[in-house]
Amino acid sequence: MANNNSQKFSLKSFLAIWAILTAIGIWISIKGTPWLMMKSASHQMHTAILTVIVFSVAAAPVAAGIYAVQIYALAKWRYKGEGVPPDAEPLRNNVKAVSAWIGVSALLTTFLLIWGLAALASDENVSGPRPMTVNVTGQQWLWSFQYPIAQTLLHHNVESNVLEIPLNNQANFNITSVDVTHGFWVPSLGVKVDANPGAITTLSVIPNKLGVYDIRCVELCGLNHSAMITKAYVVTEKQFLTWLKAQPASQPVATATVKN
Amino acid sequence: MTATIDLQKTHAAESSGGGFLRRLNFGTGIIFGVIGALLGYFLPHHFFDNQGSAYADQCTVISAVGWVVGFWFGIGALAGPFKWFLGWDQTHADEMYLAGKNQGKKRYWKYCTDHKVVGVQYLVLAMVLLGAGGILAMLIRTDLISPGTHFVNQQVYNSFLSLHGMLMIISLIIAVAGPWGNFVMPIQCGARDMAFPRLNALSLWTVVAAAVPLLTTLFIGGIQDGWTTYAPISIQTGIGMNTFAIAIITFVISTTVAGVNTVCTIMTMRTTGMSLDRLPIFTWASLIGGALGLYAMPFFATAMTMTILDRSAGTSFFSADSGGTGWLWENMFWLMGHPEVYVILIPAVGALLEIATVFSRKPLFSYKTAIGGMAGIAGLSILVWAHHMFTTGWAPQLGGPFMLTTELISIPTGIIFLVAVGTIWRGNLWMKTPLIWLMGFIANFIIGGVTGIYLSDIPVDNTMHGTMFVVAHFHYVFVGSVLFGAIGAVYFWFPKISGRFLDEKLGRISFWLAFIGVQVTFLAMFVSGLRGMPRRYASYQPIFEHTNVISTIGAYIIMAGMLVSLANIILSWRSGEPSGPNPWQSKTLEWLVPTPVPLENFEVLPVIESDPYTYGEKEGAHA
Repeated sequence: MANNNSQKFSLKSFLAIWAILTAIGIWISIKGTPWLMMKSASHQMHTAILTVIVFSVAAAPVAAGIYAVQIYALAKWRYKGEGVPPDAEPLRNNVKAVSAWIGVSALLTTFLLIWGLAALASDENVSGPRPMTVNVTGQQWLWSFQYPIAQTLLHHNVESNVLEIPLNNQANFNITSVDVTHGFWVPSLGVKVDANPGAITTLSVIPNKLGVYDIRCVELCGLNHSAMITKAYVVTEKQFLTWLKAQPASQPVATATVKN
Repeated sequence: MTATIDLQKTHAAESSGGGFLRRLNFGTGIIFGVIGALLGYFLPHHFFDNQGSAYADQCTVISAVGWVVGFWFGIGALAGPFKWFLGWDQTHADEMYLAGKNQGKKRYWKYCTDHKVVGVQYLVLAMVLLGAGGILAMLIRTDLISPGTHFVNQQVYNSFLSLHGMLMIISLIIAVAGPWGNFVMPIQCGARDMAFPRLNALSLWTVVAAAVPLLTTLFIGGIQDGWTTYAPISIQTGIGMNTFAIAIITFVISTTVAGVNTVCTIMTMRTTGMSLDRLPIFTWASLIGGALGLYAMPFFATAMTMTILDRSAGTSFFSADSGGTGWLWENMFWLMGHPEVYVILIPAVGALLEIATVFSRKPLFSYKTAIGGMAGIAGLSILVWAHHMFTTGWAPQLGGPFMLTTELISIPTGIIFLVAVGTIWRGNLWMKTPLIWLMGFIANFIIGGVTGIYLSDIPVDNTMHGTMFVVAHFHYVFVGSVLFGAIGAVYFWFPKISGRFLDEKLGRISFWLAFIGVQVTFLAMFVSGLRGMPRRYASYQPIFEHTNVISTIGAYIIMAGMLVSLANIILSWRSGEPSGPNPWQSKTLEWLVPTPVPLENFEVLPVIESDPYTYGEKEGAHA
């Protein structure tokens, strides 16, 4: 009864729509992503940008396929008559199509996972010259940074409300909070971890570009959450030492702890 | 309750049925609720030291509980248990009274057990809550039109933000499962009502009971901790947190009751021949969504109970000073929070797949794969919660496994796309508004889904977490996908509840405004996030101004679209074009009963011989 109502399908024009949309998707992925995202100043941020590009390229044909069906359907398969359309030719199932679809999505997922694990491993494997520890403390609503290295070099504590780290040296952050949960994020360095009261979380990063970067709080921490912003200065080693020496001693330190 | 009622004989009894329930309605619910709240506020004087630091917390908690219990009493929710306790049986006349027989419009203000009344009540309630959340969204976006704070200060901004989130979550949980899971699903099963009609009324009025303390939060100082209410800031924030917490616990009671009811109805109340492989796909979606809600939502009530105890009883579940940790809250919250996304999404998907078959005049493509897809999503969703915690510092060693489970979800989600697209494939597309909303859903859900894949990848999440990118991602899912599905469902089933069509032209205007608005608002919001704007910022740095202005303009376009649909619903309910019982020539059972649907739905229960998707295969319905 419905055999005369099967809608036409031209593979050629469908493939043409699909190819055009895929090409647009891939072009946006490759050209658009680096332009839209923050500029990278570390390996981690570089990985993040690269991953977004790769995932976008991988997703482009899939999304384009769905959009192509929609466009094709809206253009060709509309019922133009009055009232209820007659039934179309039934299509209950197509085992090949379903298996192929699930197979392809499983392959894509496997790829995403392998890529993700590899990228994660390379992000976590931070080893650079002259590792320096910085203790980061969040409190409502400011950041403070302590430099244990000052103990060794200058025999006094240095505490600052801006972050100063030397270029191409490994910086290890120990992060905590004195009140509520904050989120320590240096956007251009591509690293982020919460500052939790009663716990210390860690991050390691090697900044590879000189510059002044923002540090922003990314966990809602109350009234002035949006003002909990400070600066990270990535400077040369020489500039860093000059800066460190210029800082006032924040607390007198018992000599006993300084002498070994 | 049987179908063969001798109307003549029972008429006299009906006029006396109901007992003191006759005197109870929404108004008495509010009166007793307020009395309960006042008692709850002043009684603690006798029990607690009013010099104690937690005294204000204790009073507000008990007051909010007093409201809920008082409201239940005043609306008549406690009448049944009370009668059973005293050993009084409900008479048939009582049952008929409870089902709202011969009460006209009055029954919509009462504790009514008729699933169709409950469905309509849910529809209105969902729209009211959506409207309240929408107003807050507009206030937030208006405040973000340029850097710096404007007409609201940070404290008010944070309250708006938190309440916007929670109101929208609640209204979306009930937006499809509420109206259509109650009105349509029992008829689709071939049942005369839900398995537990009184629990059905209880679930509806418990959402009302929850909404009042939730909105009260705004007027007693608000909360500062977002809808996620992370600890320990949830312990530090003002007394608004107490009413917020009681509202959540109350709402969880509602979803649990509704979940039990949905699952039991589908498992036990199906008519002859309605085997599980003939069940309409929306009913399957209700079953899966309901079961998932039963697993997920109780975590929220438990976690909120802990918050209340920390605040008002001096315990230390979340306080680091005395052995607790905020990570406990984060785990409890996301154990609820991620499955909850799918409690919201799956019923909307079910409704949209019904729309796909009816408006393509084709059977659902690969019915069993569709069920497998929804079940797969539900199953995996309980194993992914810690992907919300990649950057919290809790268990970095579990990053890999949670990345795996999260990315696996893209496989069953892909199946949903395949089924939708396969159903449309070479169909005779009937370009009515429900189909248009479905097309919008597909387009938006692709974007919501793909951006979710970026966030599942830890190196990318280390950049994106906590930014506007995440906000844009889940708004593509909730607004662009779920809300489109919910509105599509309204355009689809509205003729069944009202006997009238929604206006096509207004529907198209509403769709295009909403569709364009979503792209403008949330594409710009993706860019804000990619450029480094954290979420929940009351004011932002000037570098984010352009994209925020665009997002604000887009939000106003969405609002215009929503108002057009709201106007459409109000106008069409009064004077829309009459539709008849089955305007879409659909084959599921809800369309084969008369409109308006009579009490107990079927004169004779139908016998089912096939699934309802026999388009192009045989004439007539599956009965």
